[in-house]
Amino acid sequence: MKTLHQVSATPSGEQNPEMAFHFPQGIAGLPGAHRFAFIYEGHGDIVCLQSLDCPEIAFLLTEWDEERLGPPPAIGDERRTCLGLAEGEEPLWMLVLNPFADKQWVTANLQAPMAINIDGRTGVQCIRPEDDLPIRYQWMEQPKQAA
Amino acid sequence: MMVIRRKVGQSFHIGDDVRITVLDIQQGSHVRFGIEAPAEIPVHRLEIYLRILEENLSSSSGDALGWLKGVTA
Repeated sequence: MKTLHQVSATPSGEQNPEMAFHFPQGIAGLPGAHRFAFIYEGHGDIVCLQSLDCPEIAFLLTEWDEERLGPPPAIGDERRTCLGLAEGEEPLWMLVLNPFADKQWVTANLQAPMAINIDGRTGVQCIRPEDDLPIRYQWMEQPKQAA
Repeated sequence: MMVIRRKVGQSFHIGDDVRITVLDIQQGSHVRFGIEAPAEIPVHRLEIYLRILEENLSSSSGDALGWLKGVTA
C-alpha cells in the first residue's frame, strides 16, 4: 500500500494543475471544489489539501493510523468505481484534521475519512453511515506555533 | 417541497440518472428506499450529512497552510 509520502505533495507555491487530484463527488459543504493539490510543509505526517478551484479552502490531512484506530473502513464498489481503483487495489486512507475547533487538541474526523487513489489522482470523502463515530476525536495536542 | 405519492414497489426519478424506489414500509412508520444513482452522486442520511458538512466548514475555516507552516518541528 502506498503512503503519504508517495502522494507527490509539493512545497507551497508550486501547485501544478496537472498534478491535481480530482474529487468527483466534491466535499460536503464546499460545492465547486473538485480539484485539489497536496502541499507538504515538512511537518511529520500532516499535509495540506489545497483546493485549486477555491483557493480559500484548505484542509489538513494525516494518514489513517491502524495502531490507534484499527483497520480502515472497507470501501464499497460504488466508491471504488468513483476512485477508479483497479481490482484488488486499496486506497490510501487519510483523516481530516481540525486544528481550529479546540484550543488544546487537534481533532480528527473519524466519520468522514478521505480515500485517495494515488496513481489515479482521485479522492473521495467517505461519509460512514454509523451514528457513533467521533467527529472530533482527540488526535494530538495542539503543537506550539513558531513566534 | 414537491410531494409525490408512491406505493411499495413504485419508483420516481430525479433527473435522468437517479431512481428512488419504495422497497417496503415497516411497522407503519419506517420506509425503506432503494436508491440508484451514478457513483459521483453521494447519498447520505440527512442528519449525518449535516454533521459532516458542519465539520468540513469548521476544519477549513482557518488558515490551514499557515497553521502548518507555523508549527514548530
